Amino acid sequence: MGLLTNKFSEDNVIVAKLEKLLNWSRSTSPWFFQFGTACCAIEMMAAAAPRHDIKRIGFIPRSSPRQADVMIVAGTVTMKMAIRVKKLYEQMADPKYVVAMGSCATSGGPYWQHGYHVLKGVDIVIPVDVYVPGCPPRPESLIEGLLKLEEQILEDRPLTRKMA
Amino acid sequence: MTQDKEKLIVELVNKGLDGDMDSVNNHEDKIVRAKAKAMIMKVKKGTVERPPMPEISNQVATDPISGNQDQAIKIEDPFEKVKKVITEKYSNDLDEGKEANCIYFKPDNWLEIAKWLRSEPSLLFDSLQCQMGMDMGEDILESRYNFHSMELDHYLEVRIRVSRSDPKIPSVEQVWRIADWFERETYDMLGIEYIGHRDLRRILLPDDWEGWPLRKDYQEQETYHGIVVPKIKEGWD
Amino acid sequence: MGLVHGEEMVLNIGPQHPATHGVLRLQVKTDGEVVSQITPYMGYLHRCFEKHCENVTYEQVIPYTDRCDYLSSMSMNFGYVVAMERLMEIKVNERVEHIRVVMAELQRIASHLLCTGVFGLDLGAFTPFLWALRDRERILDLFEMTCGARLLYNYMWIGGLSHDIPTGFVESTLKFLDSFEPNIDELENILAHNKILVERSADIGVMPKDIAISYGVTGPNLRASGVKWDLRKNDPYSIYDRFEFDIPVGEGIKGTVGDCWDRFYVRIIEMRESVKIIRQAISKMPKDGDVHQSLPKKIRPPKGSVYARTETPRGDLGYYIESDGSAIPYRLKMRSPAFTALSVMDEIASGWLLSDVLAILGSLDIVLGEIDR
Repeated sequence: MGLLTNKFSEDNVIVAKLEKLLNWSRSTSPWFFQFGTACCAIEMMAAAAPRHDIKRIGFIPRSSPRQADVMIVAGTVTMKMAIRVKKLYEQMADPKYVVAMGSCATSGGPYWQHGYHVLKGVDIVIPVDVYVPGCPPRPESLIEGLLKLEEQILEDRPLTRKMA
Repeated sequence: MTQDKEKLIVELVNKGLDGDMDSVNNHEDKIVRAKAKAMIMKVKKGTVERPPMPEISNQVATDPISGNQDQAIKIEDPFEKVKKVITEKYSNDLDEGKEANCIYFKPDNWLEIAKWLRSEPSLLFDSLQCQMGMDMGEDILESRYNFHSMELDHYLEVRIRVSRSDPKIPSVEQVWRIADWFERETYDMLGIEYIGHRDLRRILLPDDWEGWPLRKDYQEQETYHGIVVPKIKEGWD
Repeated sequence: MGLVHGEEMVLNIGPQHPATHGVLRLQVKTDGEVVSQITPYMGYLHRCFEKHCENVTYEQVIPYTDRCDYLSSMSMNFGYVVAMERLMEIKVNERVEHIRVVMAELQRIASHLLCTGVFGLDLGAFTPFLWALRDRERILDLFEMTCGARLLYNYMWIGGLSHDIPTGFVESTLKFLDSFEPNIDELENILAHNKILVERSADIGVMPKDIAISYGVTGPNLRASGVKWDLRKNDPYSIYDRFEFDIPVGEGIKGTVGDCWDRFYVRIIEMRESVKIIRQAISKMPKDGDVHQSLPKKIRPPKGSVYARTETPRGDLGYYIESDGSAIPYRLKMRSPAFTALSVMDEIASGWLLSDVLAILGSLDIVLGEIDR
C-alpha cells in the first residue's frame, strides 16, 4: 500500500489519474503462467517452494494461459516448440507480459554456437519485457526480475492512444 | 567386474609381488593390467593388505560348448568364448574390421543372426544396451550395437558398415523392442534406413526438417517456418 | 468394460501441460474414457547435445552433460568421468572416490525426493510435495557449500574434482542425515499407505519382467518388476563394492508385482539405503589427499572407444565415447535411462483410464532433458 499511505490525512478523497489506478491494481499480483521447459523450470518450481515463496508477493502459478497475466519462459525454446510458444502467447488475454528466464531464453544460452535446433532467444518470436540472466538463475534473481516487472507495470500507459 | 576377472587380478598381483612382473605386463587386457599394477603399488605402500592367492580348484574352466574340463590355470576371457561361438557359426557374414574387441558383420543376414544371438543357450543376449550410428568418414556409416546378457553376464559389441550413398540395414526391432526407438533416432540423426521397421520416421527433430545433423558434412538449413536458423551476432567469436 | 463401443477420440496431452514433467506430447486415442493407444512425441527439447560434443574439448563436455538430466547432475558427471577414466586408464586417489560416492548418493536422495513429491502432486496431494522440496533444499545447501551451484554443478572432473569439501561439510551432512531419516518415515506414512494413493496406483500399469528387459528398462522401474539388478552391485564401478547395502525389489505388497505403487515404493526404500551408504563412506573417508592430484595436464585419450554404464537415480546411464586421438571427441553417445522408460509407455498404459495414464507417467520418473538431449 505504499502509494496510498499519507494520502488519507483529513478527507477520504483521493484524486489521481485513471491510468495510475489501473497500473496500481494490475501490478501487485500478476498471476504467472508456468511455461517451464528445462532446468530453469526446476528453479521456478523452487521459487514457488517453501523457502523462497513467491506466492507471498502475489505471484500465483496457473496452468492455463487464459487465466494468467505474465508468461515466464523458463528454459530452452527449440524450433519445434517455437510455434507453440507463439500460439500460447496469442491465447493469453491482454494485458500480458513476458519474462525470459535463464540464458537459454534470453539468447540461446550455452547452445548458441552449434545448436541447429535451438532458438537463440525467445524474443525472436514473442516480445519480452524482462530478461533474467543466469544458468540457471537463483530463485532470488527470479524474484528480483519479477519485482522489476512490477515496477515496469507501474509506468505503463494503457489508456494512451497508441500510434498507428 | 566379473568373478573371473577379480580372481585373475588377485593372481597377477600375487605373481607381481613375488617378482614376476612380466606376466603382469604381458597380459592382453589393459584394464586388468592397470588394476593389477594399481593394487601392487598399494600393497607396496602399505595402504592395502596383500590378498591371498585364489584357490586353484576354482580356476578349472569348464568350456560349455565342448564340455571339456580344462586343467590349465589360464582363465579364458569371456569375450573370446563368445567370439569363438559366433565366428564358428556365421563365418560367411563377417566383415573385415580393425578393432579386436568387437565383431563386424555384413548387413545382409543381420536379422537372422540377431534372432540366433537372442535364443542360443550359450549366448542368451536378451538386452540391447545401446544402439548408435557413426559417420566414419570416407563414405562409410557404421551402426553399432552393444549387447549384454542378464543371465550369463557377458557383453558383445557388433558393428555393421554401410556406404553413405545407400545406407540400408535390416531392422532388429522384432527381436529387442527397444531397437524400435533407437533405430528411429539413428535414422533421424544420420540417415541410415532400417528395412522392415514398422514406422521409420523422425523422432527428435520435426518431421519436415532437412538434412542428417550428425553427419560430418551437415549444413544447417537457412530458415525453418520463417525463423532464421543460424543466428550470427557480430563480435561473438 | 468393452461391450459398448463408441467412436474413437484422439486427445492431445501437452506439450505444455503441468503434469507431463517437461515438454512431452502424448497423443491418446480413447474409446470413451478407456485408452486404446498412446503415442509419445518428443523432440521439443532437442538441444543438439551430441553435435556440441563433437565440437568442444573433453573437459568442456562436462557442463553439457549436467544440463541433460538436470535433476541429477552429479550422476551425469559421474558417468562421463568413469567412462573417460576407463578410456585413459587414470586412477584417482581414495579421497576423491569417497567424496564422489557421497555426492552421488546425496544426489540420488534429492532426485528421489523430487520424484516422490511430484508423483503425489500429480495425484492431487499437495502437502507431501512441499515437504519433499523442503528436504531437497537442505541437500542443495550442502552442494552449494561445496561447489557454489544449486542445480548444475560441473563438479566431477576427469581425474578428480573441481573443489575439495570445505570444513564443516561432514558435520552438516551427518546432522542432515540424522534429521532426515524420520522424515522418510513421515513421507512414507502420509503417502505410501494412503488409501487414495493406493487405489489410484496399485494394480495399475503392470510391467512384466520380460517386457521390461526387452524394452531396455533399467533402474528402479526394473527393480519394481522383480528383477534384482543394480549396477552398483552387479557391475560395480568406482568403490561401490566396499559398501554394504540392500537392493530393494518390488514385491507386489499392495497389488501386483510391477505396478505403479511398487515403482513408487522402491524409490522410498532406496533413499534409506543411500543414507546407509553415505554414513559408511563418510566414516571410511581418508583425511588427507589432494583432489587435484590426478588431473591430467592435457586430455588426449588414445584412439579407441569405450562404453561405460553407471547407475543414476533413473537407471543405467551409458556413455559411448569414440576418440581419434585429438583433444575433441569424435563421437559421444549418451544412452539415457528415461528414453527407454518412456518407450514402454504404450505397452503398459493401454487399456487403462485416462487418469491412470498420468499416474503411470509419474511413476516412470522421466526427465525430458535426458530423453531429447
